[in-house]
Amino acid sequence: MKEFALIFRNNTTNEAKISPDDMTALTKQWQDWMGGIAAQGKLANEGARLGFDGRAVKPAKIVTNGPYAEISEVIRGLIVVNAESIDEATEIAKGCPILTVGGHVEVRDIIQINMSKN
Amino acid sequence: MIVSKQWENWMGGIAAQNKLAARGNRLGDEGRTVKANNVVINGPFAEIKEMLGGYSIIRAESIEEATEMAKGCPVLELGGTVEVRDIIAMS
Repeated sequence: MKEFALIFRNNTTNEAKISPDDMTALTKQWQDWMGGIAAQGKLANEGARLGFDGRAVKPAKIVTNGPYAEISEVIRGLIVVNAESIDEATEIAKGCPILTVGGHVEVRDIIQINMSKN
Repeated sequence: MIVSKQWENWMGGIAAQNKLAARGNRLGDEGRTVKANNVVINGPFAEIKEMLGGYSIIRAESIEEATEMAKGCPVLELGGTVEVRDIIAMS
């Protein structure tokens, strides 16, 4: 099994349109989807759900407010899954609830890092 | 793959302050994008010129403190940027 990152992206305006009731239903869908991946032993890391507060740090240490400086789409969160191949990870991604609200999922391979011991 | 000394020093410094919550992952360049209706596109770069190279999760008192830590990231020396984002706790 290899690890793949599923990165959730959406346009901020799509989420602003969701009613509180729909948000409750959507939260349930997320729980069911992630629970299903975990039940198969394929949720390597629960990852993180990202908020809307943000800064961008650029070369020469220039800081700008907001994560959306140059893009209308933002990363909303990510999880890491175990899968035999990127195709299997892509199949898992097809169940992601963000697809029902205008977002999409980026599936990426992970490079194993060995921190050398000091 | 051995991470470069600069990365190791930067992440080690954050860890030494007990502020490295999760080392995160370095991402490769293999990718798929899944859209609604089971549409799958090859490559992570569907609509953006910049790609996500990796991420770490750190602990900080505020986004300002997290931003200060980000200023030491070696990706800045290669023309990259660091996006600092708040995390919504999941119950």
